[in-house]
Amino acid sequence: MLTTIATAQLPVLVLLLLAGTVAKMWTATHESEPGALSRLGPAVLVAERWRTPVMLACALGELFLVGGMLVTGHPFFWWSAVAFFALSTYVLWELRRRRPDVGCGCFGEVSAIPVGWRSLGRTVVLTGMSAGLLWTPQVPGWKTLAGLGWDHVPAALAGLAVLLALSPEVEETVARLRYRAPCEQRRLNPATALGRLRASTVWRSHVGLLSSPDPVDSWRELCWRFFVYPGRSPAGDPVDVVFAVYLSGRHPAVRVALVDSDGQPVAAEPLLESTPISAGR
Amino acid sequence: MPYRSADRRRALAAAALGRTVQEPGPVSEESEPFHAISGTVIDVSPHLIVIDTPDGHEERLVIAPWATAWRGEAVNPADLPVGANVIIKALRSGRVVDRIWADITRITGVIQAVGTESKDRTLELHCGPHRGRRTVVVPYRASGRLQVRHPKFEPGYLFDAIGVREDGVAHARLPATSQPPYRWTAVPPPPTGYGGVQSRISGTATWSDTFDVEEQGVAYPMLERSDAACDDAGISCTGLPYLALGSMLNVRNVCSGRTSVLPVVACGCLAGRFCDRCLECGTSPRGRIVELSPRSFVELGGDLTAGCFNARVGMG
Repeated sequence: MLTTIATAQLPVLVLLLLAGTVAKMWTATHESEPGALSRLGPAVLVAERWRTPVMLACALGELFLVGGMLVTGHPFFWWSAVAFFALSTYVLWELRRRRPDVGCGCFGEVSAIPVGWRSLGRTVVLTGMSAGLLWTPQVPGWKTLAGLGWDHVPAALAGLAVLLALSPEVEETVARLRYRAPCEQRRLNPATALGRLRASTVWRSHVGLLSSPDPVDSWRELCWRFFVYPGRSPAGDPVDVVFAVYLSGRHPAVRVALVDSDGQPVAAEPLLESTPISAGR
Repeated sequence: MPYRSADRRRALAAAALGRTVQEPGPVSEESEPFHAISGTVIDVSPHLIVIDTPDGHEERLVIAPWATAWRGEAVNPADLPVGANVIIKALRSGRVVDRIWADITRITGVIQAVGTESKDRTLELHCGPHRGRRTVVVPYRASGRLQVRHPKFEPGYLFDAIGVREDGVAHARLPATSQPPYRWTAVPPPPTGYGGVQSRISGTATWSDTFDVEEQGVAYPMLERSDAACDDAGISCTGLPYLALGSMLNVRNVCSGRTSVLPVVACGCLAGRFCDRCLECGTSPRGRIVELSPRSFVELGGDLTAGCFNARVGMG
């Protein structure tokens, strides 16, 4: 019975370590804003230039552990996992004592909330789980995973539930999804807006007026992105064709105007895309 | 992508969205407008000052009996040296001098290096990608006053002081704010916005002397990095919406009750990193929203030596 419970924690541990690896790597490589790492995890305990390498090293260490546990049944990896989580508990304790304002960084940027009893409790539970695995048969992890049956499911789910209950990141993620920053405050990729513009009917009906396929100016104001193209009015005068693309939604509103060199709007006759043909007389 | 001109962008955006084109300048109100005049002093007497303006004109202005001047400290207007660069707040259609600031400069940046020459300290500052590096001397006699509010003269910390320019060198005299306790890369994140952006945002408006003389406009922190060619933009400790160079802002000085419509002309990448409050009239909400050109700051009723005013900013 106890062996079943201990064995069932292997998929939970593997899942958690993999999630930690991916999240840390993403945060370390896609620094969302300068200084994001200065609020995260044990990395703040080292000098500024070492922060990214330390976070990457931590992620690689987790990946190494998962790989070792899944591929080989060598006791080194099982003992390393115990040591890793025990050390993490100590580091988080130290972090809480020295820098109570920073998050644990366990799952990268999502774990930016200051380290509390729940984060500490989670590493203690993980240490217990990995120690429990020492009593299971020392076979490669993939064999254990392949041999899991329905009798392991309740124990695995229970383990997962305990960890979720101890994870402050869950609430953070829910809050981020629920209270998303309004469109005006979100950083948005200009290339996406250009793609949406080119897929719009307004673009197709005005592309004939443009004298260059590349915009000469582009800027963003609140939730609109503007693209300016050199072009010619239906009467043949040089004009600027300005498109405004709304930045929210999959099929956003697109507006267009033709402006002459004096800054006055020019009336754009809708171009006929096809010649109407009468079918009968 | 080349940025062409603020006026052109304004006309194009107005045409695309079907709105009216706004002209920059003060919004007319009942109170008497202030005029900001800059130039070089040619002659000064207790009742009259003659200055040479940047466009080559000679301006003769009457000095009001209550007028005061500042040049590192409060001085008598008649004691200003010939050749000093002045910014004058003038009344009565710009004919009567109310306040004079001479050789004033504001040094805002990130400390890069600290040097010590005799008792004076020299700070090397990084003032943003488009403003480059500046050197400022903190004289020994001003260092106590500055260090009370700037306790960390260490690389990586922000610095903001008002001083005078003497022989081409900036000498700090007054702290313009309290130094943020964090490094410039560790700006606290803005509070989470629940439901929509407010149409008017309150906070602090400051000034900067990196604008052209006579330029009207603001530097705004929340610009897209790719649009503004400024890698440090897009950071603010208040929830500001994204705007672009050329967008029009309606800036209101809450203390004096004056409003101007001003274009965004520069990237305020360092202004966004200060989370300070202004205490000019009551306590403003946290965070610098805009950095104004000296002319716009004075025309809105701000005092250059105070460094800030409580502002309410909205679009157009």
